[in-house]
Amino acid sequence: MNPVILYNNDTSANVPVEAPVERQFYPYADNGGTSLGIAGADFCLLASDTRKSSGYSIHSRYSPKAFKLTEKAVLATNGFAADGLALTKSLCQKLEWYKHAHDKEMSTPALAQMLSNTLYYKRFFPYYTFNLLGGIDDQGRGIVYSFDPVGSMGTELCRAGGSSAALIQPFLDNQVGLKNQQGAQQTPLSLESAIRITKDAFTSATERDIYTGDYLEIFIIRQEGVTVERFDLKKD
Amino acid sequence: MTDRYSFSLTTFSPSGKLVQIEYALNAVAQGVTSIGIKATNGIVIATEKKSASPLIDDSSLEKVANVCPNIGMVYSGMGPDFRVLLSKARKAAQKYKRIYNEYPPTGILVKEVASVMQEFTQSGGVRPFGVSLLIAGYDETGPALYQVDPSGSYWAWKASAIGKNMINAKTFLEKRYNDDIELEDAVHTSILTLKEGFEGQMTENSIEIGIIGGTTTGFTEGKERPLFRKLSPLEVRDYLT
Amino acid sequence: MSILEYNGGAIVAMVGKNCVAIGSDKRFGVQLMTVSTEFPKIFPATDKTFIGLPGLATDIRTLSERFRFKINMYKLSEEREIEPRTLAHLVSSTLYERRFGPYFVEPIIAGLDKDNQPFICGMDLIGCINFAKDFVVAGTTTDSLFGVCESLWEPDLEPEDLFETVSQSLLNAVDRDSLAGWGAVIHVVTPERVITRTLKTRMD
Repeated sequence: MNPVILYNNDTSANVPVEAPVERQFYPYADNGGTSLGIAGADFCLLASDTRKSSGYSIHSRYSPKAFKLTEKAVLATNGFAADGLALTKSLCQKLEWYKHAHDKEMSTPALAQMLSNTLYYKRFFPYYTFNLLGGIDDQGRGIVYSFDPVGSMGTELCRAGGSSAALIQPFLDNQVGLKNQQGAQQTPLSLESAIRITKDAFTSATERDIYTGDYLEIFIIRQEGVTVERFDLKKD
Repeated sequence: MTDRYSFSLTTFSPSGKLVQIEYALNAVAQGVTSIGIKATNGIVIATEKKSASPLIDDSSLEKVANVCPNIGMVYSGMGPDFRVLLSKARKAAQKYKRIYNEYPPTGILVKEVASVMQEFTQSGGVRPFGVSLLIAGYDETGPALYQVDPSGSYWAWKASAIGKNMINAKTFLEKRYNDDIELEDAVHTSILTLKEGFEGQMTENSIEIGIIGGTTTGFTEGKERPLFRKLSPLEVRDYLT
Repeated sequence: MSILEYNGGAIVAMVGKNCVAIGSDKRFGVQLMTVSTEFPKIFPATDKTFIGLPGLATDIRTLSERFRFKINMYKLSEEREIEPRTLAHLVSSTLYERRFGPYFVEPIIAGLDKDNQPFICGMDLIGCINFAKDFVVAGTTTDSLFGVCESLWEPDLEPEDLFETVSQSLLNAVDRDSLAGWGAVIHVVTPERVITRTLKTRMD
């Protein structure tokens, strides 16, 4: 029963009583999901699962969170899906303006810097997204940029982001970065190996993380353009 | 007062005896005979079940009892004292299981019961138990048969008898026992031994038999293990005929 | 911050073919400050069984001694070595005794039983046991360990391969955890012997 009524139980109770009522609005959610980026010598691989969840419920089994932004860059957004979508939309628009203004596509490093600025612009009401930007630079080399929600940026050889970041990152360190492998030669990683490692990483993450699963989308960015491959993950 | 040592439980007599314990043994010697035989593949324990009056429903008497799935015991002496020990033994078994999630090995359970009986020879305000026990169990090391006396001393036997007719019964067992006796034979031997000192007609209702080993097994903690069980009057009748 | 994460540390155990392996880091810290790099977290229970105790350092020391006592008492009264599965239940019931004021440890037990069958299990701080057929992890590095172990582990590894798998899993996982690392110890238990190796790791 409403406590306001309890304290006002005389006969003239029909008169509304003024009492403060607290309401809450929380503008963020965590929709889970995992992404991964690997930079090769002449390619970049960016992969995401497609599950979208909230708490214990799965909202969608196929709700992609990795998007091709240019012919040379793909963005994966983890965290709050609505912010991810809004951010992607905003970036696409900025890229369109850039194209109109300069009559060329934005380079991947420039796109990374713009993303950082876009995130920092909302420093005090951030996009709740953990972004990975994968692409190839002006020299055709693969490159992965990772961001925090307010625009801190880093370039990496390999990076996992999202709900399974902690599960996948040490595996990538080991298999891509060859960390803790005595006497291992750092030979250029082949695309086939990168895809194999990516699939292994996601099947493992799917085993232990309830927010990762359903489908895996692997974007491969090369000089020639962007291709997508889709694979099944466990749906439980 | 002829004997200064007969009242205090904890006072030694000059000859080094605790006479109260001797008296307890006398109580046991007045009790009906019980037999235990260890076979290669199991153990049988058996006892007479004599009721004071034909009007007593002797299906309500229980002298052979389960302690836990793999251990059973029988007594000679005072029934009420036995029931106290039985409940203490069962509690000890459950306590062990609470800690280790498995039932105690026979030796551990026997030690536990024996230490209870010893405590009752040294504590104030109590008297020793007027019973001897035969405890039969089967564990990782195989079958084992123990006898526990009112003093708290215990031994492992290949075959033993306690109670009224124990002297004759033991002599009989000594003659009959061999090291490769099987459970089925042991059951017959135990019945024969009981018959030695039996008064009147032996029926399925006047003896009790418990066995462990042989075909009775069950699953505890995912493993198949031998279980202690009492023979039903029907099964006993089959052995008697 | 959880009390379980106050001192940091990581432990992992894996099953191989007729062998088990258990490994831990060696760091002892107070929150982010590293105090010692020689802090043992794995303790021998029998010749073929180990207990790993990650969690609050003071409870690790208390419990390692309590378990040593209990295991010795078991050996004296039962005149036999305790089986790893029995030990797991002993540890579990010891922890559950403190259900409402728990020891802040998440023990892992790894060993070979009397038939040399591998046994591993983990449990939470109040003794809820997780019997695993493949691997168990505990400590501040659980997420990372789950990820690498899930990827690197495979059935029926021989002792040397199992050692390599545990080592790589542990090393790469703790390198991503600021509260664990600073050296590592691995024990591989085989029917014949226990192979113990100390590993160098990143010291940062």
